[in-house]
Amino acid sequence: MKRDSVLRLLYGKLASIKTSVYILSVMAFFFMAGTIFPQGEKLEDYIKAGGKFVAFVKLFGLLDFFSSPLFLIAAFVLFLNLAVCTYERFFAIRSPRRYPKEFTPTHGITLTQDEAEAVTETRRVLRDELGFRLVSKDNEWIVMEKGLPYRWLTWLYHAGIIVCVIGVMLTFLLAYEDTVTLAPGKAVAVEPEAQGRLSSLAGKKGPSGFKIKVLEFLTEYAEAPELDYPEGGLSRLAIGLGWQKPRYMMKGDSLFATDWKARILVEEGGRAVKEKLVEINDPLKYGGYTFYLLDFDQVFKVRVENNPILLEAKNNEEMLVPGLGFPIRFSIFRTGKLKKLDGSIEEIRGHTNIKYAGEGQDKDEDLGRIETGESVYINGRRLTLVDVVESPIMSYRYDPGMHLLWWGGILVLVTMSLRFFGSWHMAAYRIGSTGGIARLDVRMDSKGLFADPEKTAKRLEHYLTQNDIRPTPLQEE
Amino acid sequence: MLNYEMVLSRDSYLLGIELRIFWSIAFLYALSAILFLFHALARSQPSGRAARFIMTVAASIHVGLIVLRTFEAGRAPFQTLYESLSWFACSAALTYLFVSTRWKTVYLPGLFVSALSAGASFYALFGRSPAVEPLSAPLQSYWFEWHVILAFFSYAVFVVSAAVEASYLIIRPLVKRGTAGGLGLSVDALEGFHKSAFSLAAFGFPFLTFAIFSGAAWANEAWGRYWSWDPKETWSLITWTVFTLYLHSKAIPAFRDAPASVFNILGFVCMMMTFLGVNWLAKLLGIPSMHVYAV
Repeated sequence: MKRDSVLRLLYGKLASIKTSVYILSVMAFFFMAGTIFPQGEKLEDYIKAGGKFVAFVKLFGLLDFFSSPLFLIAAFVLFLNLAVCTYERFFAIRSPRRYPKEFTPTHGITLTQDEAEAVTETRRVLRDELGFRLVSKDNEWIVMEKGLPYRWLTWLYHAGIIVCVIGVMLTFLLAYEDTVTLAPGKAVAVEPEAQGRLSSLAGKKGPSGFKIKVLEFLTEYAEAPELDYPEGGLSRLAIGLGWQKPRYMMKGDSLFATDWKARILVEEGGRAVKEKLVEINDPLKYGGYTFYLLDFDQVFKVRVENNPILLEAKNNEEMLVPGLGFPIRFSIFRTGKLKKLDGSIEEIRGHTNIKYAGEGQDKDEDLGRIETGESVYINGRRLTLVDVVESPIMSYRYDPGMHLLWWGGILVLVTMSLRFFGSWHMAAYRIGSTGGIARLDVRMDSKGLFADPEKTAKRLEHYLTQNDIRPTPLQEE
Repeated sequence: MLNYEMVLSRDSYLLGIELRIFWSIAFLYALSAILFLFHALARSQPSGRAARFIMTVAASIHVGLIVLRTFEAGRAPFQTLYESLSWFACSAALTYLFVSTRWKTVYLPGLFVSALSAGASFYALFGRSPAVEPLSAPLQSYWFEWHVILAFFSYAVFVVSAAVEASYLIIRPLVKRGTAGGLGLSVDALEGFHKSAFSLAAFGFPFLTFAIFSGAAWANEAWGRYWSWDPKETWSLITWTVFTLYLHSKAIPAFRDAPASVFNILGFVCMMMTFLGVNWLAKLLGIPSMHVYAV
């Protein structure tokens, strides 16, 4: 018996909007905590970086806060609160509405019709001219309404948020992602190492059974001039006053990567099943996975003097050349289409810059520009750039919660917009008569940002009094 | 065909013109803020009218400046923080001017909005580079325009809502004491004025929701994840949560007055954190963010 009453009390608390305010406040605080501590960082790194709240961080799992038990419990309580409120409101909205016996009128209109005629005319005007429908005539006050069903719209966007949260939960439990580097012309099997949180527990593997291959990799650049602009505030003010002028200018390497694309072929059972030019913002979807162009690798193959053994290094990685005495590195290999400043487009002659990679003042010093097949002398050693292999890095993701989230999101956005920007009006009225003069008392209520009860009341008065004979002033002789 | 020198000198010339106009606009916003302040201190309606007129002039020129920048860059003008600050200052001022047509004699909210517009403009001019950059690959998406326009529209509305809320909190005790002469509000109009703060927040809320969803959809296409708990994403969720708190607290009699006002102003603070504070937070705490403005 006692347990029942405790449960009832708990349920009552969960069905309360006041509880929503408290839990939302806690959630807002938790979200803030998650932005103060670097998420995903290791505890050792946090300590090394001089982190001051080690005990707190350990206790509450603040470096992976959004997956910590504390956060998940709070999120679950919020979800329960939302679900219980939505469930309760559903029955409240479905049950027949009970209206108060008395309303406080917001408008009063004196009518010239007799009482019986006024009753018929008011009903006709509200229904035919203003579009209201009758919802209650059981009491002295008759209630009519028009517009969008705001209670259902409110309920629907809360239900939409529940659908979104379920989608997020599915993502949290089942989604996983991995990456694959595609060497040119070589088909790679999609065999993810990573697993979703729940599937890891069940020991299942994600779906696969097909291979992907890169057919071509394209990059696009634009010439981007640099702006000669002063750092100091006063100099900037001088530009504002017209005493100085900002100046664009072309510098050595003023190429700006505007796009990179990879033509990807999907093979299943030795057969090509799909081909797509993938780029950022336009991923490939196949077999429940979505493939994104994450980055690209460039491997430089270099011959030193006439040595048949080639040295290899990725872009911006240190390379030790025998006999050179210091490390070097290759900057990004520029190739593809270039949109020039004058609007013309030309093919870039593939090239890279060799940089000094040692320590000290000369770090990053440019040691020379080199194209494929060309040689350059550095410190008396001849370096020949034999080849550059470009491999796109694809990240791929399996996320069964995403579609539910989008459908929930659409439901939330549509119903929330209708609820906030649409309008609903209620007119509760009664007609009385004193001394043979009929009087209409109306209470106008509304919902929605663009609903205007004053305007509706004025229109009602206009229609009810438009045929009245009004006294006209006598004409002067 | 244009040669390089011609293109560079044309672009430099246009940027020079743009900067001179923008500096003038920033000074006009500042002058407007000073006149609004004078109105508040001296209870002078003419100075309030003058402040609003100057703000109208500044915002009108600002619209022209944004159009010029759009042509100059050949894309929507909100890629860099310089451009976003300019857009923010202009949209907040325009929203205030539109809302102020409903409360023609109440000038106090204009003080907050013009000060914010001046602050945003001076920060852009003193602190950021105005260079026109080509659009980077992740930003080349139809979500770019939608997401940013919706987010900034909601920001502008929240700025004005907070300005009205703060003005209400200042004017209400004066009206109750009968010493609010010259501030343009009577006892009868007080609650209607306060209600407009709620209406504005309620108007901006669906746009903020839309901005968050469109941002998630865009992140899903560009980065392969709709949500990464990046500081900017998290702060946008905090802003949404605080405005949810505000809207819900208006439905609870015990929270309807002072607590609701606090939530509205807190929502504005969170919105500013989402827009600007995240940059500062990421730098201060060394937290990586995919949303930090590079320029």
